[in-house]
Amino acid sequence: MRPVIMDSQTFFRKLGVILALFLLIISIGVPLLLIFWQSIYPEQHLDWLAPIRTIAGHELSGILLQSIWLGVCVVAGSTLFALPLAWIMAKTRLGEHRWVDVILMIPFMTPPYIGSMGWILFMQKGGYLQQWLPGAARWSESFFSFGGMVLIMSLHLFPFLYLLLRDALIRIGGNLEEAGAVHGAGAGYRFRKIILPLLLSSYGMGAMLVFVKTIAEFGTPATFGRRIGYYVMTSEIHKYISSWPIDFGKATSLASVLLSVCLVMWYMQSTVSRRFTYRLVGGKGQRSKRYSLRGSKGAVSALYIGLLLILSVGIPYFSVIAASLMKLRGAGLSIDNLTLDHYKELLSWGSVSLKALGNSLGLSLAASTVAVVLGTGFALTIGKSQGRMQRVIDLFSLLPNTVPGIVMVVGLILFWNAPWMPVTLYNTYGMVVLTYVVLFLPYTVQYVKASFTQIDGTLFQAGQVFGGGPLLILRRILLPLIMPGMLAGWIMTFTIASRELVGSLLILPPSMQTSATYIFAQFEQGQVSLGMAMAVVSVGMTVVLLLMVEAMNSKRKWNAS
Amino acid sequence: MKGLKLGKKSTLLLLTSVMSLSLFGCGSAPSGDSVKPAQDNSQPSESGTAAASGKLVLYSAGPQKLADNIVSGFEAKTGVKVEMFQGTTGKILARMEAEKSNPVADVVILASLPSAQALKADGLTLPYPEAANADKLNKDWSDAEGNYFSTSASALGIVYNTNLVSTPPQSWADLGLPEWKDAVNIPDPTLSGSALDFITGYLSVKGDAGWELFESYKANGTAMAGANQEALDPVITGAKSMVAAGVDYMAYSAKAKGEPLDIVYPAEGTVVSPRPAAILKSSPNVDNAKAFIDYLLSDEAQKLVAEAYLIPGREDVEAEGRTNLKDIPVFKVDWSWMNDHGDETAARFSEVFK
Repeated sequence: MRPVIMDSQTFFRKLGVILALFLLIISIGVPLLLIFWQSIYPEQHLDWLAPIRTIAGHELSGILLQSIWLGVCVVAGSTLFALPLAWIMAKTRLGEHRWVDVILMIPFMTPPYIGSMGWILFMQKGGYLQQWLPGAARWSESFFSFGGMVLIMSLHLFPFLYLLLRDALIRIGGNLEEAGAVHGAGAGYRFRKIILPLLLSSYGMGAMLVFVKTIAEFGTPATFGRRIGYYVMTSEIHKYISSWPIDFGKATSLASVLLSVCLVMWYMQSTVSRRFTYRLVGGKGQRSKRYSLRGSKGAVSALYIGLLLILSVGIPYFSVIAASLMKLRGAGLSIDNLTLDHYKELLSWGSVSLKALGNSLGLSLAASTVAVVLGTGFALTIGKSQGRMQRVIDLFSLLPNTVPGIVMVVGLILFWNAPWMPVTLYNTYGMVVLTYVVLFLPYTVQYVKASFTQIDGTLFQAGQVFGGGPLLILRRILLPLIMPGMLAGWIMTFTIASRELVGSLLILPPSMQTSATYIFAQFEQGQVSLGMAMAVVSVGMTVVLLLMVEAMNSKRKWNAS
Repeated sequence: MKGLKLGKKSTLLLLTSVMSLSLFGCGSAPSGDSVKPAQDNSQPSESGTAAASGKLVLYSAGPQKLADNIVSGFEAKTGVKVEMFQGTTGKILARMEAEKSNPVADVVILASLPSAQALKADGLTLPYPEAANADKLNKDWSDAEGNYFSTSASALGIVYNTNLVSTPPQSWADLGLPEWKDAVNIPDPTLSGSALDFITGYLSVKGDAGWELFESYKANGTAMAGANQEALDPVITGAKSMVAAGVDYMAYSAKAKGEPLDIVYPAEGTVVSPRPAAILKSSPNVDNAKAFIDYLLSDEAQKLVAEAYLIPGREDVEAEGRTNLKDIPVFKVDWSWMNDHGDETAARFSEVFK
């Protein structure tokens, strides 16, 4: 190899790494450090032991174990939901129904507390289920338990895992399995020896995301968990942040415990995925085989998808829509208690609610676009995380996902509102976009990384051999191959940003609302029906937008083939 | 290996182009937004009371309709543009804490008196003893030196679902009877300032023996359920029958809408939870803030308070559509004891109910 190329290569690599590190340190590292500084510098003097005292002063071990146990159970639960679904959608004809994917995104678009509220309204004493079936009282008792909480959270989070697993299964393609079959391997053996090892790295990533999301989740513990008396770390942290006396120091001490747990998880996951990463996307044409399921197998698969859709979308949304249509919440389900007034109030021109919807849309579009551009850059820098620097970038870009959102947001405020900052971004539109980007950057990074690590280097080599310049290679080889990952990251960021609550509550400039803070305010004000109507409208809007993206995307694929 | 490196090279090219793009993006996209605020943020904080800037930043807890009405009334009267952040007392205090090094708010309205006392004790409030009509306020709830003004208040009672409860309990102790097993909610005092006021107020009267009441609640299956509205909602839908220490104005406004709700104030007495407003010492628009306090104490704003089913802070203004303050049996509570013992009471209460 010519040394000149080597030089420019190392130069570009160094430049990329330095740039990535710089951006990550400014946007994530420094704010978290400021938070940590608050926890050891509480009363204008340095006190290294303050966090340790806080931790020791709590019966923390019990709560920490409860958090971890919840995380483990939810990972198990979402695997149960996601794995069969991913197989059906990747390998059978049923997978050609792309609308299922969009519907499966609905749990994401739903703020977790709305989803839990839906379940609670459905199952509670005198709830919708009991209004139909008075005999269901026994079910509701067994539902309000730890198992019910795991069910709700798994149903909320399994799409993460599903998307990753499905993409991985599609990339595995049919060839390898056929090769196995030719050599006489049975279906079970093929699954164990071919599919499973190839899936492991994607599964590890997804499982870690689900675990971390679960133990950093606040909505469900705050609504459902409080009701059944199951307390987790986030409830403790929120206590210090949202009720008098406010003590960020103590909150951050507890947050650092959570952070350590997540770091251990991250380390385990990255070890596993480094051992089990394979180059699946090579130069040979991909032919994915789809089984056409007939008879009972097809029926079972369709039934499975149907049941999953009912559980994850049907029941919560039945409650949400019912609640949004009610004249009097005390009067129960009946035709003469229905009204569209809440929607009329919501959608009247120039109303606060319409402005909130517009804000949500604009903010999440801006944030998801910036996040995809940055996240793709980071993911490509990280590459296969061989160097130490790359792994540091990997860790940094994952941090916002492991720190409870509210802690991250407080750090951002401390940093961007500091008196010594030359530019006060705080209390502007830009600050909100920045917050969303920082909070949701990990999704793009993870998704793009997942597709990038599976591309075989020979593809770029081939491009080079045929005289393609770097730009051509980028445009014709790299971008098309990582496009699905980028798109998934964009969609994910957009969906989650459009319903982000915890950060928005703290960071939005005064007198600016998004749909999520509007819903929350309505709940606080006792206008539950209005809040639920807003949930329906904003989720509906997001679904329409995603359907449009999906339609454009499938057209693009058709053109390419 | 070679292919890998080539791959790297192209990706790094992409990366650098992407980075520079995004850097430009970061620099230019928000600049239209951020440059201007940066300027007017730095100027007022240095030149202090530039009332000419014509704006006021208000952080307000409590019923949003009321806050909206007050804000539009004030804007119409003075022409000052109000930017409002609406949230619970806890959210507002958290926001203030986060902005500590570079505060933005001029006036806060909280839903808990001890929080305002704490703000004063920390030296965060700006006294305004000359406020018009301040002499007509209830003396117990407002600061003699003008650090905070309780411009409205709510009383706590037993809120019940009229479909489920035909003979409402008449005393706090009744909620511990087997008749009401598993049927009662109580708001979480760490989230609801008024619930904390009730609990500390009750204890300040009854002493340590007061805990027996809450222990009997727990033994009877009473659930601690979030902030006020979260505790009330299951009662509206019929999942629970009653809220202990429920905020009355929420009950009155839901009842006015037609929901099957009503409220009783136990004859032995209850606690009234005042809602103080204060000017912050760090206020960049002091003159506007003072004008806003004057407006809060005016006849017009007090009328708006009354229309929101709250108890007006001024003793000479009558309440509307609800029980007047003088007809509510009130405990002789000790506010300074309550302020000193808030944290430990909330902690012990959570311990009892966990």
